[in-house]
Amino acid sequence: MVFRNLFRIAGVLAAVMVILIIIFVTSRGIRPFIGGEGGRLDLKEFLTGSRWRSDQGIYGLGFVIINTLLVSIAGGVLALPSAVLSAILITRIAKGKVSVFLTTIVETLAAIPSVVYGVFAAGKITVLVRDLGHLFGISTYGGNSSLAVILLLAIMTYPTMTTLAVSGMRSVPRQLDSASLALGATPTQTSFKVIVPAARSSIVTGFTLGLGRAFGEATAVSMIAGNALTGPTWNPFDITRTLTSTMLTGLHETTGLDYEVRFSVGVILMVVIISMNLLVAAAKKRLEKKGGAAL
Amino acid sequence: MKLKKRFTTLLTVILALAMILALAACDKKQGTDPSQPGAASGTTAGSSPGGDRAIHVYTRDAASGTREGFESVVGFKGKLTEYANEVASNGAMAQQVGQDINGIGYVSLVTNFAENNLKPLKYEGVEATEANVINGSYTLKRPFSFTTRAGNDYASDEKKQIVEAFIAYLADSKEGREVVAAAGGIVEIETGKPWSELKAQYPIVDKDNSALEIVCGGSTSVEKCITAALESFQGIAGNVQFKIDQTGSGDGWTRVLGDEKDGPNASDIGFASRDFKDTEPVDGALRHGIFCQDAIVAVVHKDNAVMDLTKEELYSIFTGDTGTWDAIGR
Repeated sequence: MVFRNLFRIAGVLAAVMVILIIIFVTSRGIRPFIGGEGGRLDLKEFLTGSRWRSDQGIYGLGFVIINTLLVSIAGGVLALPSAVLSAILITRIAKGKVSVFLTTIVETLAAIPSVVYGVFAAGKITVLVRDLGHLFGISTYGGNSSLAVILLLAIMTYPTMTTLAVSGMRSVPRQLDSASLALGATPTQTSFKVIVPAARSSIVTGFTLGLGRAFGEATAVSMIAGNALTGPTWNPFDITRTLTSTMLTGLHETTGLDYEVRFSVGVILMVVIISMNLLVAAAKKRLEKKGGAAL
Repeated sequence: MKLKKRFTTLLTVILALAMILALAACDKKQGTDPSQPGAASGTTAGSSPGGDRAIHVYTRDAASGTREGFESVVGFKGKLTEYANEVASNGAMAQQVGQDINGIGYVSLVTNFAENNLKPLKYEGVEATEANVINGSYTLKRPFSFTTRAGNDYASDEKKQIVEAFIAYLADSKEGREVVAAAGGIVEIETGKPWSELKAQYPIVDKDNSALEIVCGGSTSVEKCITAALESFQGIAGNVQFKIDQTGSGDGWTRVLGDEKDGPNASDIGFASRDFKDTEPVDGALRHGIFCQDAIVAVVHKDNAVMDLTKEELYSIFTGDTGTWDAIGR
């Protein structure tokens, strides 16, 4: 009984924290839109605008939302295949110490603070993108670009996805593996056609968590995004602006509307992340239904 | 095959969503952009890719004091080109312009140019050095001004005396100027008087002043300099307390001599990172003046052929009227 109540309290505390955060951010976030008296923002213009000029008092977030979705999803999609393949390597191909070693590396990657990734990205990824642009005769802002952000997010989401995929594949029942091999499938066929489908639930969960990290990553992203003033950014070599970089840039020095509007951006960011999670959850459910029949 | 199909389904759903949103935004953009002021001006080749010599403009975020200084001296406040890369700090500006052969940005004079692959540009033909700032020939700079409350407007005589003593330390003493210079302010140290001479006029510094608090307000740009000065002053002025509540140059005068001088944000010393305006009369103050200067330097990549730019050229680059280095013609 005692323990059950302890768990209950823990659960309630967690829920209260989430609700408190939502209430706080939302109540601050709606301030720029209420209270009239000129200089306040128009909600429609804020949600659909294509210019973010705090120096001119113009706050249009529409293009930022699109940029954020583009770079985060592209980064996640780029990381997913590498994560699944790495997980197969760790659980199916590598043996003993090699497997442990690889797992350690992936776990280390997950533990590196984002500001360290940011310094790495600002010094190396941007240079890579700059030289790549040079190859195509494209002049970039020193490599600060959508593409650099996508590559960074791919690297940052990869460990999360891999860790989840590994644990999913490890928990696939041994019999499935043996049955597949006994039926004459090669180890490779077994990995891709039996193990991966059986572990898909974990893989999708990893993808969701990875996307969450991509959407929420602020420090590293704002170091290489370039924080474009207009958009959306379609050219991968052009500078971009994300919701998080918009919130973070200049936060420490600014005051007034320019400060308050960052809470509004935070509300939008939460909405985007929550709807993305719901979407992936729905996709996962459908996947499960179909897969259940097949297995 | 089933596996592939399932993943394809998942990805299709996600991509479809992205595309729908993308298309929606596309319409919006085409619909509004031409009517937006400043968005047009077809000369902006700086829009990014395309053109090997397209100028890439770098700017600090709108809350930056350096940006405020640069924009007000060059005179393009609110007219910055749409195609600018916004960076969050002086260090990020230095690093990023140093990585971009076509980039141009601005940093404070204390930046290490060589380490960041930067070339400091001459402004109106004058090299950016501390000597040139002090002798007045380098004009891409701004003064850090201060003003006190009116002489009869301090809560107590002790408060008035300690504020006077601090101003003397900050603006007149050799020691105070050294501290300000170490914090990035530009000021002539040699002409300052030794504090040991000055302090004779301010006997209050030898008392225990831990019950007194000097409240500073106004410009955020001066914060580093006055924090350093107050911290060192505390040790030689009987442990006087201080509060630094910087919110912007506009509040410097307002909270000391203007509307808010008796409000909850009232300050003892107000600062502005510019001269006080005609609408901000400081004649009544106990003392007002300039305690140091701040110089801003336009920078390009070290391999850029450009050596110097005029105010007009900087204006035309940063507003987007000039989009390529070829148009600068150097």
